[in-house]
Amino acid sequence: MALEKQEQRPAAEKGEHIIARHLIEDESIKEEKNLVIDGVDVSGRWNTFILSRVDSEFDRSFFREIKDTVVGSRINRCWQCGMCTASCTVTPLYRRFNPRAFIYMMQLGNLKELKKYIDVAWRCVGCYKCSQRCPKQVNPAEMMEALGLVIKKYFPEEVHSKLKADEDVKKIYDDMIIGHGRLDLAKLHTSAMQKTGRTKELLGKIERDAIFKMAKDGRAFSILRLGKPHNWSRSKVAIENYLKNLNTIENGEAGV
Amino acid sequence: MSENILVVGGGPAGLNAAVMLSELGVNVALVERDSFLGGNPKKFKYKFLFPDMQPADNVIGELIKKAEAGGGIKVYYSSEISDFKENGKKFDVTIKSADGSEKKTFDSVIVATGFEHFDPARDAKYSYQLFDDVIDIKDLERMMGENNFVRPSNGKPPKKVAFILCVGSRDRHVGNQYCSRVCCTVSVKQAIEMREHFPDCEAYIFYMDIRTYGFFEDLYWQAMEEHDVQIVKGRIAEITSGPDNTVICKGEDTLLRGPFEIPFDMVVLASGMEGGPQSPEISSKLGIELDEHGFLKPENITLSPFKSNKPGIFLAGACTGPKAISDSITEGAAAAMNAYTYAVKNR
Repeated sequence: MALEKQEQRPAAEKGEHIIARHLIEDESIKEEKNLVIDGVDVSGRWNTFILSRVDSEFDRSFFREIKDTVVGSRINRCWQCGMCTASCTVTPLYRRFNPRAFIYMMQLGNLKELKKYIDVAWRCVGCYKCSQRCPKQVNPAEMMEALGLVIKKYFPEEVHSKLKADEDVKKIYDDMIIGHGRLDLAKLHTSAMQKTGRTKELLGKIERDAIFKMAKDGRAFSILRLGKPHNWSRSKVAIENYLKNLNTIENGEAGV
Repeated sequence: MSENILVVGGGPAGLNAAVMLSELGVNVALVERDSFLGGNPKKFKYKFLFPDMQPADNVIGELIKKAEAGGGIKVYYSSEISDFKENGKKFDVTIKSADGSEKKTFDSVIVATGFEHFDPARDAKYSYQLFDDVIDIKDLERMMGENNFVRPSNGKPPKKVAFILCVGSRDRHVGNQYCSRVCCTVSVKQAIEMREHFPDCEAYIFYMDIRTYGFFEDLYWQAMEEHDVQIVKGRIAEITSGPDNTVICKGEDTLLRGPFEIPFDMVVLASGMEGGPQSPEISSKLGIELDEHGFLKPENITLSPFKSNKPGIFLAGACTGPKAISDSITEGAAAAMNAYTYAVKNR
């Protein structure tokens, strides 16, 4: 069989005449503009080929890699009952965020499939409802952290292009964690409202009622009393040193 | 002189053991904690038994009748063992009942203390006891037994019922890692019963695996093929209240890869079996071993599942693990044979 390419034929749209076109991804369709096989011109309708879409390998090395991380060490426990996705806070909002399916893809090392979910794989809010209910104690919430690590490692470019860190939010978080060693929910709330332009609502009825309630049952005062964790200044120095070193290493690797 | 054998527990296993021993001419003392015989099947008024849907009374009623009619069985109702001592190869036992304490010497002992239904209220996500329309299989069995199949909240017949499998079984979160063996079959049986008597009530079964083992598989096929029971793959993570007095099941359809929140008129939880408080109690009283699941531990699970680790004490029925009634009755007979042999040998 001799394949010869010919030019000068009108170009058709990729796979446009395949009936169930929506089921096939672009990269699975192979199409030459003009094609002659054994002297027969098969240009047009007959020169479209669909590459095999069968998975031909389970990649266990990937599974072991996940298992060796602290957060993903329980991956071998999962039996795919769906309790995690069923409990999930995020799934009702983003149907494509499916912890159970992600864990399964990680078990089988199906990076091709995982790649499709780069944009939603980070949506876990860490409510830990899944980990609390999981019948096998897989700890899916932490498994989502493992997923983040994996995606960052294997698809750095896609992650970079699809996800951008919000510098303002990052700064607020860093200031809180490094400066005080704990999250200040009131500050978080205020800054979130400021960022979304809802400063006025901060003095609205809901907020006023909440403050009144917290003052009444004493929670407001306990918040004031709580200071930094014990001996935090030493921890602060250690973290700052670590981050400084980390930056030096990263910059060194990048050749800066 | 005939042998004296003590049987603890008057459920299917204990009753059958007692009946068989009395037919051999043994003097049997049957200690029962409740004021009636028949164990859990009687207590929770099971109506029909799988797989052939015969009335529970055919089995349990028959055993009780035999036990009460046959001579040689002395039944102690509302009683317990207050003292237990080994005396050579025999056992000195004090039985405490409403009529006072009685001290006796027995040649061998059969323990058939049975199981307890898992209390679904312990697993808060299912909202059992929070919503009236969330019931479990033993409640439904009683409803069916009393011919009173209505929604507990408003007394009207339900139109859409969900069965949730593996409640309190196969779940590290509640502490029971084992499969309770019969709840799948019981749920499927109840779905069939429901569809037979109330054809306009839809039945859905939410499953992770359907374990209708052995020939019980027929029942599950029958439920789908003849009664249009719909099965949905996914465990339920939350039950909340919905509009129009419904209860909403929140779960994931793992085959379709998507979450669902579907309102039902009634939810039936297939709660599993547990060793109950009686297992550790009898274990410490008689000095026999308990396993890691809270049931009594047989000496050798394969070779002698009816023997405890102490010679002369035999086990029968669901006290050694989740079991169907037929298995309990079989084990009752096996334990009776062994207890009799032991008693005759050490006469």
